[in-house]
Amino acid sequence: MNLLAFFFILTSLVTFVAGQLFLKRAMESTMKSDRTRARFIALLGGGIFLMTISFFLTLGLLQRFDLSYLYPFQGLSIIIITFAAAIMLREKLSFQLVAGSVLITVGVVLVSLT
Amino acid sequence: MENRPSGWRDPQLQLALSVLCVLFSELLLKRGASDTASAASWSWTGINSLASPLVWWGILLVIASFLSWLYVLKYIPLTIAFPLSRVVDVLVPLSCWIFLGETISARRWCGIALVVIGLAIVAKPVARLEERL
Repeated sequence: MNLLAFFFILTSLVTFVAGQLFLKRAMESTMKSDRTRARFIALLGGGIFLMTISFFLTLGLLQRFDLSYLYPFQGLSIIIITFAAAIMLREKLSFQLVAGSVLITVGVVLVSLT
Repeated sequence: MENRPSGWRDPQLQLALSVLCVLFSELLLKRGASDTASAASWSWTGINSLASPLVWWGILLVIASFLSWLYVLKYIPLTIAFPLSRVVDVLVPLSCWIFLGETISARRWCGIALVVIGLAIVAKPVARLEERL
């Protein structure tokens, strides 16, 4: 794997995770009455924009690599999202959650290896 | 904390619906894409798959899953909802085995087992979350 491919894999992962965080923030803002509609639309739009970038980067990668090679990297998104949500959204993280996420990630990687 | 919505507005039901929509969309897209596979040089864009009605049904399901996912995000923390949503990584290979006649290797079965155990562990905090609501 060359450096450029690694860069695109990393970017597609980061934009996907950031997109999810944006969507979560957007939906949370609908639960608070003091939040404006503009904030919701900006967050939702940002989330969809980031997910779109990730989607097309993934399509580009799929043209060059096998799905079975790329899929394990997507499995990493579980771990990254769990920690990103804990740090940036200040969600509570328990040992149980981390252990479960690690098991799911290892399982996904195993499933995608042919 | 406000009351958890019940019936169709139950966030856990919506999470299950979102996962099922993803599952069926994957199967429909695979079927549709295989039906329309061609050797044309421009076919790598996948656009020619739009000729299949199955692909359009798949796209509808993708949109439906996105909407119910947004609803789930309103109520369930991302640290719990996202790992749970990866149950599709088990359901998709199982469905490919059952409906599309694809084979599952021993290593893949091991992976499926690990995901199921991990899901069971992650799902526990949801039950506790439920008690608090």
